[in-house]
Amino acid sequence: MPLIKLKNLSKTYNTTAIPVHAVNNVNLQIAKKEFTAIVGPSGSGKTTLLNLIGGLDKPTGGSVFVEERDIATLKANELIDFRLHHIGFVFQAYNLIPVFTAKENVEFIMLLQGISKTERDKKAIELLNAVGLGERIDSRPSQLSGGQQQRVAVARALASRPNFVLADEPTANLDSHTAESLLDLMEQLNKDYEMTFVFSTHDPRVIKRAHRVVTLMDGAIKSDVGGKN
Amino acid sequence: MLFSLAWKNIWRNKKRSLIIILAAALGLWGSLVAGAVWMGWGESMVNTAISRNLAHLQIHKKKYIQNKEIINFIPDGSQVLKKVRTLENVHAVSGRALVEGMAASPTSTFGVKIVGIIPAEAEKVTDIHNRLVSGNYFQSSSRNPIVIGKKLAERLGLKLHSKIVLSFQGLDGSLIYAAFRIAGIYKTDSSIFDQSNVFVQQTDLFRLLNSKPIIHEIAIRTETSAVLPQVYEKIKSLYPDLDVQTWNELAPEIAITSAAMESFTYMFLMIILFALLFGITNTMLMAVMERIRELGVLIAVGMKKGKVFAMILLETTLLSITGGAAGIAIGVLSIAYFSHAGMDFSFLASGMESFGAATIIYPTLPLEMYVALPIMIIVTASLSAALPAWKAIHIQPSSAIRTY
Repeated sequence: MPLIKLKNLSKTYNTTAIPVHAVNNVNLQIAKKEFTAIVGPSGSGKTTLLNLIGGLDKPTGGSVFVEERDIATLKANELIDFRLHHIGFVFQAYNLIPVFTAKENVEFIMLLQGISKTERDKKAIELLNAVGLGERIDSRPSQLSGGQQQRVAVARALASRPNFVLADEPTANLDSHTAESLLDLMEQLNKDYEMTFVFSTHDPRVIKRAHRVVTLMDGAIKSDVGGKN
Repeated sequence: MLFSLAWKNIWRNKKRSLIIILAAALGLWGSLVAGAVWMGWGESMVNTAISRNLAHLQIHKKKYIQNKEIINFIPDGSQVLKKVRTLENVHAVSGRALVEGMAASPTSTFGVKIVGIIPAEAEKVTDIHNRLVSGNYFQSSSRNPIVIGKKLAERLGLKLHSKIVLSFQGLDGSLIYAAFRIAGIYKTDSSIFDQSNVFVQQTDLFRLLNSKPIIHEIAIRTETSAVLPQVYEKIKSLYPDLDVQTWNELAPEIAITSAAMESFTYMFLMIILFALLFGITNTMLMAVMERIRELGVLIAVGMKKGKVFAMILLETTLLSITGGAAGIAIGVLSIAYFSHAGMDFSFLASGMESFGAATIIYPTLPLEMYVALPIMIIVTASLSAALPAWKAIHIQPSSAIRTY
């Protein structure tokens, strides 16, 4: 059973004027433990596709199944709840809460899930240690480098014990060394935690590391190398 | 943690938050002090009127208030006086013989109320004896001593020891003219009272009227304001045929003015809070618009819109309460200080005297005001938060995340 299944998925903007088919009839399946990159030039629909998979946007056609559940039919609050418990997000711009420490940023997701303070404390420290930031738990984002902030973001994404992590251009703002270090971490997490990672990227460093590369062009899949679909 | 996040969010832009907190604090402080001054002024008018002539209670013959003729004296007034003096919670009693007449000097005349008193009794009920600016309160040995107000003395062009001629109607309707010697000149906080009331000894007045002692008005001071209702009820039950009135029935305009001050205070506070509402709404709108991306991320990772709404509401409430608490604290300290030291409004003396208010005001605020104010602040905060919170929960996470 695939973890993620996209069936005839489409997203069209400006349906009444000049329609823009950002995602055009995509069929795709992603299994557990995959380390998949969705690549393509700017405007190919990578981010839109990731938003649809993550329930941040509603499709204009087709379905998005996550563990056999069509998330496109969920109501607004159900969708938010679904994201909280099933999906982790890593963004290009890190998007940490600037007034919180690294630990509080990781804890916050667990707070939203209603987890107790003791367990939140323990888990947050464990995750920050796993991403190599055990000594910076009380630092605020402004006191961390770009790479360190992205590591905190990864820890935050894992805090909710998601089924998979969606990473939108996670290395775009990082230098080579930091990007490689981040990718090492993600590969390690993929191996140790059996965590599924789906990237949207045009970073060759990520493409090189991905176990499967799905190429998009004009909203449609042009090629799909390295995976079973 | 939501509380912690809300509190920390307020201080992201320290300057902006401090400006709005300062505005709230100053606005509330100003309105509290203004309100306390108004209420102190109202209280001063009441206390001044009670001490000057009203006392807490007065007894008259029925309908005397409508028809103040000399023949409408209290039947067996002396007996009533004696009885009332013995009642529980009565501090002091003074009987007054009242006659409407004219006061004349070589240069002018003026209508006055001639108040015949027993000075030793009157001293316990009113404070005219403490308000002399010259002379004495019936301690002179001159024949027919009179104590008049400073305003009347000025109008008639008279001074201490001058002769003043009073003319009034006797019990048989005949006109009586009598010369008095000014033994003392008083000045109260009411210029109107000062020019209209002259005080003579009852013995002199009865001699001129050729009458036995008659009492038109019995003025009563109770031990405290709190026992006034029960003394009132007691006297009413003892003398159902007489007119027994409290000070606020005798001078409703003073009672209304005093009550109006409390209303003015609330109204002024509401105006200040209404103005603050816009300031706080504007500040919070800016705070939300600056954090569109962050709020989008929070919704994306799983923060329900209800929690987003609650967070904005909490931020607004904390901001308002911080400013409100500061304003209340400074207000309480200011009012506490001036309630002892007094505020000098002598630069407005002539205006305040026409209202019968003292020129030194002791600001005061009722306790319920301090309870009502935090509630009003929280309501204001909630209303202020409505628009920014609505904006926040209608953020589309997919586009918000891309905002720079």
